[in-house]
Amino acid sequence: MTSPRRHLWIAAAAWAVLSIVGIVLVAGIQIIPVIASREAVIENSAFVLLTIVSVPVLMFVVVGLAYSALRFRANGDETDGPPVHGSRGFQSIWLGVSFALVIGLFGYGAVGLIDIRGAQSSDFEVQVRSEQWAWHFEYPDAGVVSKELHIPLGERVHLVINSDDVIHSFWVPAFGVKQDAVPGRPTQIYLTATVEGTYPGLCAELCGFGHTDMHLTVVVSGRAALESWLSQQPKPSPQPSGSPP
Amino acid sequence: MGFGEEDPAASRSNMLLGVKLGILSEVMLFGALFAAYFVIRSESGGWPPEGHERPELLLPGLNTLLLVSSSVTMQWAVRAIGRGEVATMRRALRVTLLLGSIFILVQGYEFATNGFGLDAGVFGSTFYTLTGFHGAHVLAGLGFIAIVATRARHGLISAEHHTAVEAASYYWHFVDVVWVILFSTLYVL
Amino acid sequence: MLRAVLGAATGIAVGVGSLTLARGAGLIIDDGQVLGLAYLLAVIGFLFGIGAFRFWVTWAAGRQVDPAEEHAAHGTAGDWRRYFRFTTDHKVIGVQYLVTAFLLFLIAGSFAMLMRFELAQPGLVLGKEAYNTVMSTHGAMMITVALISIIGGLGNYLVPIMIGARDMAFPKTNALSYWLLPLPILLVAINPLLGGFDSGWTAYPPLSQQANLGQQAYLMAFVTVGISSIISAINFLVTVFRMRAPGMSLMRMPIFVWALTVTATLALIATSVVAAAFTMLLFDRVLGTSFFRPSRGGDVILFEHLFWFYSHPAVYIMGLPGLGAILEVVPVFARKPLFAYPLAVLSFISIGVLSFMVWAHHMFVSGMAEFFHIPIMLTTELISVPTGIVFLSALGTIWMGKLHFKTPMLWVFGFIWAFLIGGITGVYLADVPTDITLSDTYFVVAHFHYTIVGGTIFGLFAGTYYWYPKITGRMYSERLGKLHFWWFTLAFNATFLPMFWLGIEGMRRRVADYPSQFGGLNLWISFAAFNIFLSVAVFVFNMVWSWRRGPRAAPNPWRAHTLEWQISSPPPIQNFDHIPMVSAGPYEYGGGVGVPAEGRAAQ
Repeated sequence: MTSPRRHLWIAAAAWAVLSIVGIVLVAGIQIIPVIASREAVIENSAFVLLTIVSVPVLMFVVVGLAYSALRFRANGDETDGPPVHGSRGFQSIWLGVSFALVIGLFGYGAVGLIDIRGAQSSDFEVQVRSEQWAWHFEYPDAGVVSKELHIPLGERVHLVINSDDVIHSFWVPAFGVKQDAVPGRPTQIYLTATVEGTYPGLCAELCGFGHTDMHLTVVVSGRAALESWLSQQPKPSPQPSGSPP
Repeated sequence: MGFGEEDPAASRSNMLLGVKLGILSEVMLFGALFAAYFVIRSESGGWPPEGHERPELLLPGLNTLLLVSSSVTMQWAVRAIGRGEVATMRRALRVTLLLGSIFILVQGYEFATNGFGLDAGVFGSTFYTLTGFHGAHVLAGLGFIAIVATRARHGLISAEHHTAVEAASYYWHFVDVVWVILFSTLYVL
Repeated sequence: MLRAVLGAATGIAVGVGSLTLARGAGLIIDDGQVLGLAYLLAVIGFLFGIGAFRFWVTWAAGRQVDPAEEHAAHGTAGDWRRYFRFTTDHKVIGVQYLVTAFLLFLIAGSFAMLMRFELAQPGLVLGKEAYNTVMSTHGAMMITVALISIIGGLGNYLVPIMIGARDMAFPKTNALSYWLLPLPILLVAINPLLGGFDSGWTAYPPLSQQANLGQQAYLMAFVTVGISSIISAINFLVTVFRMRAPGMSLMRMPIFVWALTVTATLALIATSVVAAAFTMLLFDRVLGTSFFRPSRGGDVILFEHLFWFYSHPAVYIMGLPGLGAILEVVPVFARKPLFAYPLAVLSFISIGVLSFMVWAHHMFVSGMAEFFHIPIMLTTELISVPTGIVFLSALGTIWMGKLHFKTPMLWVFGFIWAFLIGGITGVYLADVPTDITLSDTYFVVAHFHYTIVGGTIFGLFAGTYYWYPKITGRMYSERLGKLHFWWFTLAFNATFLPMFWLGIEGMRRRVADYPSQFGGLNLWISFAAFNIFLSVAVFVFNMVWSWRRGPRAAPNPWRAHTLEWQISSPPPIQNFDHIPMVSAGPYEYGGGVGVPAEGRAAQ
């Protein structure tokens, strides 16, 4: 007969070993497949931290289940188990740990959120306009409208997002930014691209039958290349900003 | 209501609790409508929006008095039956019915002569949806009171058996309170 | 039934007829208005036809209700026709709900198979329009299954018995809340004939304002289901607070009853908010109002707030009954008292309270007010504390128990795993930085299937197997039950675990087509999903076959202590010959107070 205390020790040891192995496996990995902005870096590290915290939680329950399933089978024993209704100590520890985890994760998340959303200053502004089912990008300083989004490398970009019809959502996975385009209420995001290149983006909010095919392309290039690209674009005939080209 | 042994006291308190819970859910219904109203109102530059005018205060003001006094007469009915005075209660119910019906008629007249419709932008939308929902509740309340009055005429309501009167009064007071809030926010403030 | 169908047909005829006449008279009436009136009258006609109002009409007219007739409405034992009638016996209503829910589960599951058929390979088979309708209908139906199956089915059947009552507080209202359901369910099922709808169950305007008539059908159906759910919630609350047997104090109530009590409270408070939101949306479509029309001063985000103010508590309206069923099963098959019962009760109540403060976590990227993010992130993460207590209770009960791995207990283990994955991944979606990248991807799809299937459907299966002998008086086949469990659970995990990965890799939800790099994984998911469907066929066969041919069940085959097991299987028509006196808590295993199972309910 194994004593209750011994059961606890064996399970705790299994839990500790599995947790450490799990944490070693997940620590430091890149979870977001392509990272090309400051925001995506913050999100990736939040992702890794949450995964590290999840491992012991997951293992706790899994070890508890597996150990019980292996060792506490009745196997034809028709008597009842011990009449234990609870354990004040264990319940307090459980509550204490879960509150501490929640507060810790909340604090970390809040810091990350402020980091992403906080500084409301920018070097470069683009008006994003969406409709069923296409994107248009207007560069107010250059007076140019394009189908592709071009932004400068390493500068804080301010996107003001509008919709002409239904709700769309501007999403570029590599930048870790996503923001709904709401008709009648401009929304905005800030982002800083950190790697030169061309990135796909998509509409992330169901917007009707064409939603599946509502894609966009973002080109990140140095400021000089961007300026020369802007100057090559045909200037639309003068008209009030925000209206269709 | 139940099956097998009947326990009037239990079924009485069941019904009253049921009505109270139902009113709680109605509170949330009007809460959602009012929330929509206040959000939309706060987002429009100025209320009523340009090109709209609120209805005159005179008729709705009189209507408010009517509905508030009908709450008083309803309470009078509950008091009366508590003392076993069936005839007084029936008179009080009839007065309540009369006041409520005049309220509905005046509302109908107002709706017809306001000069703007349900499709008149957010102003028309909120105005008619809120008052319309309330009007439907007044009608339901009147139906409830009419049923109670019918049952009283058949001698089915007495000092011992008057749960329905009490339930109807809860509902009627609720409808009254909603109106007072409606009147002060839609018409006055 | 026949009269009900006639009543509905009359309603439709009057509705369509009168508006056609009005059209002929020169009024401008669009199809939406015709559909609206016809549906409204059809529901009323159906209810009159089925006899839902006959007692109330008698009562209102000031006549005495004939007790013999009232008795007849309760039905007689062994008469199968009472399952197709307006029957006031809570046990009949429970079975009606349960069978309806499982039928709907099969239909909605078939829609899921169509989705996986489209998604098996890159490219289009059904086409984008058809896919959106199939996807939206699957969602709308499964939400209904999750909302009604446990509380309407198992709850109606068991709650009165578990608290020692003869019936619900309002038996006729109870029947009414069931008979409100067939027409809206039918309407959603035929919505493809009305042009389908492509907005998903969330029905965000303005998309839902421009969609087809099928959209309107969905909105009307959902409001009707909501009304049914409010009525049923009132009934549950009054029953639990007023009809308990002597000695059944609140803290002696089985945990399942507690879960349903909190559920009913949530349904009562939250449902009318979504009913209001959907009604405003319907008015926008049908009557020309502009609540959610941005071009005319309306506000789109307002709809999202109102919608989620209901629909997040709704997640707990779906989930809590499942948690309750699981915690009800654990002590019986671990032969130990429920661990930390008072804390579990407290956790249900705190989940209920907190669930009203977390709705906006569905809207972190919606463009709502910026200051809202941080408090909502806090409340959302806080709700994991009471939810975690469910694991505490389950694990604490299992630990050092004497585990009997009958089918219900297997579902408990499957539940703990699935709900744990759902819970952990929920934290990623509560944390704003990770949510920004994960929202609207397959990560979310995987997460909510792990919580709703893991919480509700695993709980539903655990409860259905557990109470099957009580309800039918027969034992199910243990062998088929285990086959069902292993097949379903493996296929379920094989379907939804890879979806987390797809979401991280950037596959959006609610799309009919995807980049070819996701092709292999999607083919695997479709294959696994098809296995879920097959495993459910085993369940259906087991249930139907055992009901006719299974061995007779003893009154208490599981040696459980709660009241429903102290009466015969199936229960007599009045539940109890004498209302029992309750003298101990529901989970006194291990002889804690020296009360043997049979002695607990002194009859």
